[in-house]
Amino acid sequence: MTNKSIWVFGTRQVVFGAMGAAIYGVLSWTTQFLQLPAAGNVSFRPAVAVLVFFGIAYGPWVGLLAGVIGNTLGDALSGWGFFWNWSLGNGLMGLISGLAMPMINDFRARADLIKGITWGTIGIALGMIFASLTEIFVGGINLNTAVVGYFLPAFLGNFIVILVLLPILMTAFAGVAARRGR
Amino acid sequence: MLATWKYRPRDTFIQSLDPRTRLIFLFCVIFGLSIPQIWDYRIIVPIFALSLTLYFIARIEWIDVRRAWIFIIVLVIFIVGLNALLSGRGGPPSVLQTQSPTLFEVQFYIPGTKLGFTVPITIIKLWFAIVQITRMLTMAILVIPIPYTMDPNIYGVAFRRMGVSDKISFAMDLAFRFLPTFARDFATTVDAQRARGYELETLKGGIAAKLRRLAPLIIPVVMQATVTGEDVIDAMDLRAFDTNKRTWIKELHYSSRDQIMLGLGVSIFVACCLLKWVFGIGGFFVPRFFFALFGY
Repeated sequence: MTNKSIWVFGTRQVVFGAMGAAIYGVLSWTTQFLQLPAAGNVSFRPAVAVLVFFGIAYGPWVGLLAGVIGNTLGDALSGWGFFWNWSLGNGLMGLISGLAMPMINDFRARADLIKGITWGTIGIALGMIFASLTEIFVGGINLNTAVVGYFLPAFLGNFIVILVLLPILMTAFAGVAARRGR
Repeated sequence: MLATWKYRPRDTFIQSLDPRTRLIFLFCVIFGLSIPQIWDYRIIVPIFALSLTLYFIARIEWIDVRRAWIFIIVLVIFIVGLNALLSGRGGPPSVLQTQSPTLFEVQFYIPGTKLGFTVPITIIKLWFAIVQITRMLTMAILVIPIPYTMDPNIYGVAFRRMGVSDKISFAMDLAFRFLPTFARDFATTVDAQRARGYELETLKGGIAAKLRRLAPLIIPVVMQATVTGEDVIDAMDLRAFDTNKRTWIKELHYSSRDQIMLGLGVSIFVACCLLKWVFGIGGFFVPRFFFALFGY
């Protein structure tokens, strides 16, 4: 992607936002058998790496769309229902990760991989803080449960996921992008 | 190739409804149970019965939904239900904060050692598992028929006519359309990797090792999506997407039956909110008859 203007919202963002959402929804649904230990409504989602990757590769709007729509689809498919605060938290995760897009030049380079993981970590931290703290009003839990029962397991689980899977995704994407010439 | 949901036109009440009515009704039920956090079986069971009735009158063939049902049952009963039964998590805090008689204990010990722990199965946890399963099925039953009974061509226009912007509507439309494609791609990838000796059922090692071993399943699907995305962008650009104000060919109109269903959906949502926030009804509790069932 040559145009590094991250706040453009055109055809590219619509399509990859939708693609990211569909993949995030499908993978959340198919890999949810991995339940996080000690977490209330939080399931262990390898798909989070895909969400962060779409943000980093295609920008904040794509990350936001993929997170909000994808989480809604994943939850709806699984029968969890609709949790607007977790969907918005996932959207924030993608949006903040997407802020790294203009800083990434080579998806294979070690420095850019570290930038991707760093922004992804900031994204999951802020996204999960938002979702966990709003759960105090939505779910009637106390601050301790929000932090210890929701935020920490969700953050740690997602952090491990992006630490392991994001570099693999970024490296694979470097090859695909080079072949496509975009 | 774009895979599609197994949509088939049928002469049923459900399919005669405007798609907006169905989506709004679905949102009303989901929001009604989720936002005010309804865990009272007296509210959940009637809504569950209504969802089940709507499901049956949709007349979807069993062969079409068999896999979806197997997945939902395995997930809801064996994963969510057991998780609720053993840990009591995933619901209101009162499940873990309230004292309750223990029915039996489950031992998790490494054979031949004293390493492990005992999990008490209490009446409150058992009731919570039943309520959690019913609550999730209520929502799942409303969602399952949508791909089989709603024309994929009207997802976008339905969201647009609900007031969502053109671009977001199109993104929603594309996301819905690509969902079965990626689900099929994922299944194909799993089959292809199994043919090469990949053992999904025996993901051994710690969390990091398990995650690394999921890469052969995730990477091909994601990379294929990035390539497909570029082709879709080209196709849309050639059709001058995003160059001018967009129009939608399909017209949608509400009929009287839509108004009845919308009224019912809104009533459910309002009733759930009022019952919980005004009258304090709808929270989690274990009914007396359930205690009596076990002699307490």
